[in-house]
Amino acid sequence: MAEGFDIDHLAKLARLSLTAEEKALYSAQLGQILGHFQALADADLPATIDDARVVDEAALRSDEPGPVLGAEAVTRVAPASRDGQISVPRVVDDES
Amino acid sequence: MSNVPSDWEVVIGLEVHVQLRTRAKVFASSPWGFGQEPNEQVDPVVLGLPGTLPVVNREAVEKSILFGLVVGAEIPERCAWDRKNYFYPDNPKNYQLTQKDFPVVVGGQVEIELPGASRNVMGEHKFIRIHHAHLEEDVGKLSHAGSGSLVDYNRAGVPLLEIVTEPDLRSAAEAEAFLRSLVAMLTQAGVADCDMEKGQLRCDCNVSVRRRGAEKLGTRTETKNLNSISSVRDTVIYETARQIRELEAGRTITQETRGWNAELARGYVLRDKEDAHDYRYFPDPDIPTLKISRETVARLAKQVPENLYDRQRRYVEKLGLPYTAASVLVNDRALAEWFEAAVAAHPANPSGIANLVANDLLRDLAASAGAAGAFDESASAPVSLSSCPIKPAQLAGLVKLTDDGVISKQQAKEVFAEMFKTGKDAAAIVDAKGLRQNSDTGELEKIVREVIADPSVAKSIAEYRAGNEKAINALKGPIMKRTQGKANPGLIDQLLRKALG
Repeated sequence: MAEGFDIDHLAKLARLSLTAEEKALYSAQLGQILGHFQALADADLPATIDDARVVDEAALRSDEPGPVLGAEAVTRVAPASRDGQISVPRVVDDES
Repeated sequence: MSNVPSDWEVVIGLEVHVQLRTRAKVFASSPWGFGQEPNEQVDPVVLGLPGTLPVVNREAVEKSILFGLVVGAEIPERCAWDRKNYFYPDNPKNYQLTQKDFPVVVGGQVEIELPGASRNVMGEHKFIRIHHAHLEEDVGKLSHAGSGSLVDYNRAGVPLLEIVTEPDLRSAAEAEAFLRSLVAMLTQAGVADCDMEKGQLRCDCNVSVRRRGAEKLGTRTETKNLNSISSVRDTVIYETARQIRELEAGRTITQETRGWNAELARGYVLRDKEDAHDYRYFPDPDIPTLKISRETVARLAKQVPENLYDRQRRYVEKLGLPYTAASVLVNDRALAEWFEAAVAAHPANPSGIANLVANDLLRDLAASAGAAGAFDESASAPVSLSSCPIKPAQLAGLVKLTDDGVISKQQAKEVFAEMFKTGKDAAAIVDAKGLRQNSDTGELEKIVREVIADPSVAKSIAEYRAGNEKAINALKGPIMKRTQGKANPGLIDQLLRKALG
């Protein structure tokens, strides 16, 4: 296990199956990336940096319904569809 | 009912997902609504197609703030959105837009009322604290067919307010009372419709048990996606019993995510902690942090309706209503306002008006509407007053006629039925039917004198004078007959006693 993360757990979350060589390679690379972020986190930055990304309510959209694509267009971009719905491999985990 | 052994205590926290009442989706302009053909309410932003950007719907933000003000929460100056990443086909973008660190609503509390010993006795009141509420997008709907699954993205992007309570609930009855109270507040403020049959309100229910007096909370389980108040109640009862059984048998509770099968009335394990998702939250780069002005908060504060239990207390304490009538009226804001308009037209007898509204009017409205689709199977469905043939002032007029002794209470029922049928004023119906009681004292006095002078009633008069109160009733019949039933019974009684000295 490299510092700060568990490569096996991350691979599982990312739905990747990795060989031992790949695990070693990616552990080292991910360690460098995380080290870089740690350096950013350690920097003493002014709190105003967040203000660049703040908008007021004028940036909100009004509650006006607009056009839709239609089921035909929606399903056309999917690899498979049936009865106006997108068809996917059976999923069991009830996520919501 | 749940039978929790007295040495155990159950601790419950709820996460309530409510679809807000808006026309367009929360980050896209696509319309939404229940019962549409699959994938007909989808636009490129909902699908997260390349080149699209989400823009937050003002109405969704304001409805969220309004909810916060209804429960007395803090509305922080800034709120922000995050990406919750997961791989699952109910979400076309592989992440859900939600608020993790800076929610739109922080704190607040919901007053609840537990059932009383009987229908006409008010139960205990309690306050349940709200931890926070955040504004996120709903996800698509999956249906499983054979070896595959089908995806409908109509629901994806519908504005969803997730209301998270503190672990303050202590029984299935409290969880049920909380949801009823919350639904009443959300609907009365116009924040949401909360129609559970349309999936507009869904709950995740966290349950743990501990020995009474213990400070440390037990290991909790989370049962997800409960879509009715009864499912929440049943889940709490089931989980409480299961956890106590496990612990008393010397086993431990595993922190896990569970599902609920309402048909079989039992829970099942979805996944344990080992499989817990790591959602890798990070601030969404597409949606800037939103600054909420204090002017907006002040404007929305004016839209907060009177709290349902404040209204109930006012009805009982200031207007003198019995609890039974007050509790029926306050559950429906339109009905309560209708009642208040009637009281304004005839302030002398709020109880008389409440009685007619809570019993006769509700019964006839329900009968004329048929069974309405209710969010809550055991509570009375909200009735539509828009089609009510009687106006508040007209009902007040009917009560006034009764109070003035023009018609009897029995006759009032008959007049009410006619009013509901025709929409006519009470006075017009009374005149048309010739129901007006004779309250002309001079004429009545003359009849009373004539009747008591009749030798056939001498025996009754003697008995009355000898102290038999009931004997006076024998004299009322002949008087009623002479007036063709139109004399005011109270006035007859009064005049008779006066004449007999």
